[in-house]
Amino acid sequence: MGSSIRKAIELILSADPELLNILSTTAKVCLTSSILALVLGVPIGILLGAERFPGRKVLLVLNRTLIGMPPVVCGLLFYMLFSGVGPFRHLHWLFTVKLMILAQVVLITPIIVGVMETFVADTAPALRETARGLGFGRMKEYRLLMNECLYSIFSAYLLSFARAIAEVGAVAMVGGAIAWKTNVMTTAIMMYTNRGSFTLGIALGLILLTLSLLVNIVLSVMQGRLSR
Amino acid sequence: MKTTAFTKTYNKRVVLDLPELMLPEGKITAVIGPNGSGKSTFAKILAGIERADDRRAIFSGVTVGYLPQKSFPFRMSTEKNILQNGNDPARAAALMKALGIEALAGQSAKKLSGGETARMALCRILMKRYELLILDEPTAAMDMESTLSAEECIRAYCAETGCGVLLITHSLSQARRLADRVIVFHEGKLIEQGECVQVLSKPKQEKTKRFLEFYGL
Repeated sequence: MGSSIRKAIELILSADPELLNILSTTAKVCLTSSILALVLGVPIGILLGAERFPGRKVLLVLNRTLIGMPPVVCGLLFYMLFSGVGPFRHLHWLFTVKLMILAQVVLITPIIVGVMETFVADTAPALRETARGLGFGRMKEYRLLMNECLYSIFSAYLLSFARAIAEVGAVAMVGGAIAWKTNVMTTAIMMYTNRGSFTLGIALGLILLTLSLLVNIVLSVMQGRLSR
Repeated sequence: MKTTAFTKTYNKRVVLDLPELMLPEGKITAVIGPNGSGKSTFAKILAGIERADDRRAIFSGVTVGYLPQKSFPFRMSTEKNILQNGNDPARAAALMKALGIEALAGQSAKKLSGGETARMALCRILMKRYELLILDEPTAAMDMESTLSAEECIRAYCAETGCGVLLITHSLSQARRLADRVIVFHEGKLIEQGECVQVLSKPKQEKTKRFLEFYGL
């Protein structure tokens, strides 16, 4: 165990090409999917939290269901849609980074929607009463609401990024964990562990843990600054 | 300014049933009454925050300002909060000084105490000129010194702008100090209205007398 960890650290320090490739694929998939999910999730979450309209409760239940959707089910769904018998087979997206990103967007957007909806539903009524009492228009009301949401947006993003980087089921199914092409950190750990090659697995595990620690440190620092 | 007659129903229970009302310009009208008599609902309907049963706005073409019981501090400094309602730093500074919060100008409004938030909120609403200003218990969270300063600011605003002020209050002594006219609510109905001195000293209605006796007047 001790020697495996030492070798893993040496592998990280030596900038192993395969390790770097896995890291770059992971960064591409996770950053793109979390940013896309943020762009989609924040307005939907704010809308669901701030407005009351027919069908809102149905959408909330649907979103909560999607938050709990097992990643392998998401992976299976996209596999069927994009495989040789699926309606989107002509796109040839199966076992590509594009489809991995799409599957992750579907997995993590509901998390962002949920975080934003909860915060806005709690904040919007009091803010709206004050803003309308002052005679502010709808645009100014939304601008002030967005300003209140800054920390929530930030923490929702980090939460979704953490979920994306730790996700394995969906990306393994639609990406196929192809070395030098669609292998990300989590799928690579599984692949190398199955092969009995622990060194790269441990190296990737250490990087994942370090990233998780960094995310939490950034979140704690920003919490103090943005909540002011 | 004249309000139309309206009713408000919650869960099939009529919580407000009011006739037409006159709210004179340049005067302060206090609304008093026991808890649950519909004072705050009345204020919200007049301000357009809530709608009466017939869904019509009570005022159209009238600029109404409304200060809720618990005003929301926006996530920015105290001064910026106040300037949100009118970019006049000199007026903001004067109001902050009058209400004793000038030292808190640069502090985050989220960090203010309840009384400080109430003073900031009053400064903010007094930045703009409204035709009708509705204040729902604006001094409830303030100490006596701040309350007296706030009352002075409200009186000055009313005199300067000539706008009508509707003051929802639990404090009969505040109504006596500040109001020109008084409206008394009981169980969602208007039971008495008139000049402040007359209503508080010689009420005509038995329910008003009982309410005033209960509060020690």
